[in-house]
Amino acid sequence: MLKEKIKSTVSSLLENKQVDFVIGYGAGSDAGTVRPTFVKAVEEVQELIWSPFAVNNLAKYVMDHLYENIKIGVIVKGCDSRSVVRLVQDKVFPRENFYVIGVPCKGILDKNKVARDFDLSGEFVDFVEQGDNVVVKTTKGDITIPREKYLMDKCYRCETPTPVVYDVLLGEEIAPFRRDNYEDVKNLESLSVEEKSKYWDKQFEKCIRCYACRNVCSACNCRDCVFDMAEPNWVGKAANLSENTAFHLIRAWHVAGRCVDCGECSRVCPMGIPVNTLNRKLIKDMKELFSVETPGKNPEQGAVLGSFRTDDPEEFM
Amino acid sequence: MALENPLLPYIATITKVIDETPDVKTFQMVFDDPEVFNVFKQKPGQVAQISIFGVGEATISITSSPTRTGLLEFSIKKVGRLTSVIHQMEPGMKVGIRGPYGNNFPYEMMKGKDLLFIGGGIGLAPLRSLIDFVLAPENRQDYGKVEILYGARSAADLCFKYDLFDNWPKMPDTQVYVTIDRPEEGWDGHVGFVPAYLEEINPNPANKVTITCGPPIMIKFVLQALEKMGYSEDQVVTTLELKMKCGIGKCGRCNIGSKFVCVDGPVFTLRELKKLPPEF
Amino acid sequence: MRKGYILKDKLFPWLEAIRAKYPLIAPVQEDGLSLFKEVEKVSDIVLDYGITRMPPKDLFFPQTEKMFRIKNKNNMAVELETPEKITDEQVLFGVHSCDLKSILALDPVFTTRFPDRYYQERRDKTYVIGLSCQKALPTCFCTAYGITPTAYEGADLHLTELGDKYLVEVVTERGERLVAAVPGVVFEGTESLEAEKEKLTAKVAAEIKPVDITGVKEVLDANFELPLWEKWAQKCLGCGICTYVCPTCHCFDINDFNRGDGVGERFRCWDSCMFSDFTRMAGGHNPRPSKKERVRNRFMHKLKYHLDRYNLVGCVGCGRCVQRCPENIDIRAIISDIKGGV
Repeated sequence: MLKEKIKSTVSSLLENKQVDFVIGYGAGSDAGTVRPTFVKAVEEVQELIWSPFAVNNLAKYVMDHLYENIKIGVIVKGCDSRSVVRLVQDKVFPRENFYVIGVPCKGILDKNKVARDFDLSGEFVDFVEQGDNVVVKTTKGDITIPREKYLMDKCYRCETPTPVVYDVLLGEEIAPFRRDNYEDVKNLESLSVEEKSKYWDKQFEKCIRCYACRNVCSACNCRDCVFDMAEPNWVGKAANLSENTAFHLIRAWHVAGRCVDCGECSRVCPMGIPVNTLNRKLIKDMKELFSVETPGKNPEQGAVLGSFRTDDPEEFM
Repeated sequence: MALENPLLPYIATITKVIDETPDVKTFQMVFDDPEVFNVFKQKPGQVAQISIFGVGEATISITSSPTRTGLLEFSIKKVGRLTSVIHQMEPGMKVGIRGPYGNNFPYEMMKGKDLLFIGGGIGLAPLRSLIDFVLAPENRQDYGKVEILYGARSAADLCFKYDLFDNWPKMPDTQVYVTIDRPEEGWDGHVGFVPAYLEEINPNPANKVTITCGPPIMIKFVLQALEKMGYSEDQVVTTLELKMKCGIGKCGRCNIGSKFVCVDGPVFTLRELKKLPPEF
Repeated sequence: MRKGYILKDKLFPWLEAIRAKYPLIAPVQEDGLSLFKEVEKVSDIVLDYGITRMPPKDLFFPQTEKMFRIKNKNNMAVELETPEKITDEQVLFGVHSCDLKSILALDPVFTTRFPDRYYQERRDKTYVIGLSCQKALPTCFCTAYGITPTAYEGADLHLTELGDKYLVEVVTERGERLVAAVPGVVFEGTESLEAEKEKLTAKVAAEIKPVDITGVKEVLDANFELPLWEKWAQKCLGCGICTYVCPTCHCFDINDFNRGDGVGERFRCWDSCMFSDFTRMAGGHNPRPSKKERVRNRFMHKLKYHLDRYNLVGCVGCGRCVQRCPENIDIRAIISDIKGGV
């Protein structure tokens, strides 16, 4: 059972003082919600769970401990593990200070999709995989969910079901079995300039400038963010279409080549803006131009926009 | 004429700029509409929001006493974006002023008492509004002996030299003690930090109120010294500095616990300060 | 208080008559989100909406609001132009009881001591029509603060759907003006409706997962340091979602926008105490330097400071923060931790 493996792994790490604390998932407000849980003593390990809804990317929390030179254990899925690569490659957090607990994952359930058809309002008790179904036990009864119908959108195109870095893997490696065809990006690319403009205007008008997308992003790891600067005031604080557009486009370009396409930005947006479509457009373009993999997928791949190869395309020269 | 829109500033013109130290300037300002002086009527210790249009606003204590009518003086240290712009401004230029905001020094409670002012660096600026108020001819007889203890990093960093060395020592029953942190050539005055000098002078707490303002580290040691010397919590008054935006208790930025520094402060007695959570 | 009713099938025609006279802001569905928006057609109104994504505070305290225009010739000549009129009269329809109470929680902030012209004018010119809840969401907990799902405090008129009628309670003088200006409410025979309203209140209140706040303020009065703050602060991303979706949060920033050609404006916009630079001063000193101080400050403001200043709750139990926090920081769990002295 994965939950038991997590608990015994974390207990052993804490007992042997291999880490100062571990970041995992605990039960949240309802059966479909998990909560990042920080465990530093063996007595606290029993708070850790595994859930088919464990969507949060926990890697970025290490940024709260930048100068402390401590070892932090993090539970990661395939997408989250790319964030670990990101933080290490950007020299934000040393690899030796990470203890990466990898969990192979075939897809995470989308609680919004599930909630439309099932009652998630009880508390999470446990879950079990039954063939193609996930049976979630809640305090308000058991729910049988056909897994493939209710995944997060990003999971249907996941090419790294097994974490790309780990110090321990809690389960059998899963060979990649899905492909990312960038359908969402292609759909927008096929629109006319006016249609695209109208589409993004509509999205950016919704933006309330909460900066959740930036704060959750592991590629957004600058000590002093450009959007927090008053001098110079690159982007004004007013929430209007002009400033919001500037914010989103500038941020997309600032993380270009480093965004690992973990999808957290779109998940956290309270206004439903498909933020990561912008990033995915840039990743798709980079793949076509430079024949690279999704940043973070291959730890050996250097910085995409920070490298130069003599065979890089040069149509404009 | 009172501001029916408290977020709309009065327009004022800078009439004089005095270089106090390498990074502090005193700006004299006059409202373009003289009627405003009839409504503005600040009390010693209050602050105002100075607008540099197109750049923003900053909270600055009013350093001139209300007994000096027809003008306002603000002493501004260059620490950030806005204050750097202010430092480039010259007489004739326009600014905006909103205020007066905050509570004032409890000058009524201080009547009949001896006063001990303890200031450090730019912290003398808010104290000065009360010092000049108390020393003004129409008020002098209401207050007892006035002692002013002031220190800065170096002689060049002393603010209001014209008051420290010229005007104040000439005032009746007024004693001025000045110190700088480290010895330097050309200075034959006292050398040492303000809290240490305070303990040397050891002023008697009897019938005294002490008012202090300066860098947080100085205030911390001054308060410790005062406690050691027997001053009670009601005898010690200080004024705090916190980031403010609206100045009128709405934008939520300057709260310490349930208090807003812009309306419930910036002046607090030590008794009140001890009740506040340590977030300043 | 006068009470009347509107037949259910006469509601939309009445709303249309209102819309013909005033801009009508009501709950609609846009891109899967429930929001308060000005409606062109009353058929766009969605009555059974649970909770809106964003609270109605935007009507009185907009996300971004121009304060005045600045004409500035190199700082040698300055002219300020405040708008003559901030808003026209408008009608805000369909506000649930938690949000109604939140408007009352914001009023003393903006209207007492240096009354805020912008907020006051919007408030004076807006007719607020409340709408009782027919169901509770799993994240609702208005009852923790003594607010019922059918409470009318904060509304000028309050509607409750009961069978084939809407009970209409005329709460304020402003509400009287509206029913006079737009006839359609029948003022008679409401006794049985009032009895049914009691039943509805009890039914919906029973659906709410109970949250007990007794003793919470006392614990916070006595303790500034509690281990629970670090525990919850660790999970926090430091974004502004909770403060922006919260109907009672009111922090704002004031900035100048400079076009560069002598014309600019001063505006205010929402700001969040959760942002790391909220209290940071020029020179670097920050009284709330880490997430722990900021998280503690936010919840102490909601559960204690707002009560201290205005004798009104700072939280109305709408549950938006619980729904939208990306890392599931749940104020109900924090309340429980505080009670446990954790």
